[in-house]
Amino acid sequence: MALLRIALINIARRRLRTSLTVCGIAVGIAAFVALVGFSKSFEREWLKLYESEGTDLAVVQKTFLNTTVDERVGDRIRSIAAVADASPIVLNLMDLTPEVNALVYGLRADSYEMAPLHFLEGRKFRGEEAEVILGEILAGNLGKKAGDTMEIQGASFRVVGVFRGGSALETGAVMMPIGQLQNLADLHGKVTAFHVRLRPAPAGRTAEEHIRQARAAIEEAIPGLKAVPAGERAHNNQFVSFARSIAWGTSLIALLVGALGIANTMAMAVFERTREIGILRALGWRRWRVILLIQLEAATLGSIGGIVGLVGGWGALRLLASLPMTANIADASISLPHAGKALVIAVLIGLAAGALPAWRGARLSPVEALRHD
Amino acid sequence: MTDEPMLEARSLKKEYDEGRIQALRGVDLQVARGEFLTISGPSGSGKSTLLQLLGGLDEPSSGEVFYRGRSLAGPFDLDTYRSRHVGFVFQAFHLLPALRVLDNVQIPMLEGLSSARDRRQKAEALLEEVGMTHRLRQYPNQLSAGERQRVAIARSLANDPEILLADEPTGNLDSENSARIMALLCGIQAQRSMTIVVVTHEAEVARMGHRNIHLKDGRVVVG
Repeated sequence: MALLRIALINIARRRLRTSLTVCGIAVGIAAFVALVGFSKSFEREWLKLYESEGTDLAVVQKTFLNTTVDERVGDRIRSIAAVADASPIVLNLMDLTPEVNALVYGLRADSYEMAPLHFLEGRKFRGEEAEVILGEILAGNLGKKAGDTMEIQGASFRVVGVFRGGSALETGAVMMPIGQLQNLADLHGKVTAFHVRLRPAPAGRTAEEHIRQARAAIEEAIPGLKAVPAGERAHNNQFVSFARSIAWGTSLIALLVGALGIANTMAMAVFERTREIGILRALGWRRWRVILLIQLEAATLGSIGGIVGLVGGWGALRLLASLPMTANIADASISLPHAGKALVIAVLIGLAAGALPAWRGARLSPVEALRHD
Repeated sequence: MTDEPMLEARSLKKEYDEGRIQALRGVDLQVARGEFLTISGPSGSGKSTLLQLLGGLDEPSSGEVFYRGRSLAGPFDLDTYRSRHVGFVFQAFHLLPALRVLDNVQIPMLEGLSSARDRRQKAEALLEEVGMTHRLRQYPNQLSAGERQRVAIARSLANDPEILLADEPTGNLDSENSARIMALLCGIQAQRSMTIVVVTHEAEVARMGHRNIHLKDGRVVVG
């Protein structure tokens, strides 16, 4: 009979309490899996966006997450030898209807970032006309097609095309001339960033060296701005940072509640089983073995809660992937590292919550514990 | 050093409640190897306290307990002492209610035998020795009081201790079961040449040992 079996028997003795404790930790893990998973999907889509466009660097303000860059620095960026093109972009999030919100991109009609878009109907917008193009998912959600009109921030726009992009952040987005969005957002002469496409690396220079030198050249030419590799920008832009902060913050609160549940269960278990612990100590069990038993119980509760939470989180992600508002971003699959991280967190929470009760149980004097009613 | 006592108590005192209760007031005692000693006395005489101190379950307020000449105080490893050298039998049996008979007997072996198969085989052999082979899969609440005490005795022998300490082992039993349990203890003592100390308030049980000491008000009055 192994120690784990005794731990499992002890857990099974009080099924209702065990179930409630497992539910507590499962909610925390499900929140972690769903919210952090969602923010990771969001980040992945950003990376896909940059990769599909062929963007190598994003030029943004050095310190602000929500950056605004003077539009006039574009020519200075383009004058750097390593830079093939620099496209200004304004990025915002808008409520298009009470139910549907979407990312709004302000781009120049001749931006290289428009090139990969595949038009299912209509065409690109032209110059600075009051025209928009819609990603196919957004067009479906809004029930719009080329030729229709739509109102954004009180201004009327003509839908001139519906496209399919390389990322869900495009297929669920609206794109319009950059000047139009600057007017709507009151950002005259300001852009969110410049997306930079570099020339191929010269012979004898690695791609990493080439990017490093281009970054240095841009940052030297325009003090106060930084050139961030696309992958890093995908990880750190204001939307992803905000989503990640919300996801972790909410998950941590839920995990804390779950941890308190386990701590309470284990404290009660130790109190109720004081005499049993006394028996074990009288029979020669060392303190560390008593700690191990209690911690095994706590870790098992955490593990079961973790597994239930994984299933719940996966269900939540599936739900998000099916809702019109989030379908374009949420990915219903859970990566193995993310699932592993969730389980490790669940077990660690169990161990942390069980530590104090275990320590108290092990410190009991055998004779005092045997007298306990 | 064959005549060195297995257990020895020197000037043993135990006080509770900041000295207001004196359970033991200076007990000197020697228990020889292979001896069957009974300790009798009325309720509150300090006999259970003495047994707890001899078994390393508690520490004396003053005085010392020696196991084969080594003091249990200071750096002595009481956990090892309790797991390897001493077996306990309690009046209330103290079996773990959630575990089956076979599992209960294996509990102390977790500190000794590493192989699950060895633990199981040994537990089966011990339960056979106490006549409980037919109850291996039962839970303690499915057993009679006498059967529970036999399981507790099997458990006390789990790690082949040299000493068996029994605190009122017949206290919760009827006279028929008391006689059986004492016969079992006598048989184990003879077969294994164990040192056994039995605390009892029953005169009949007290007479079954090689020697009896009588405690009153925390002092040895006969012995």
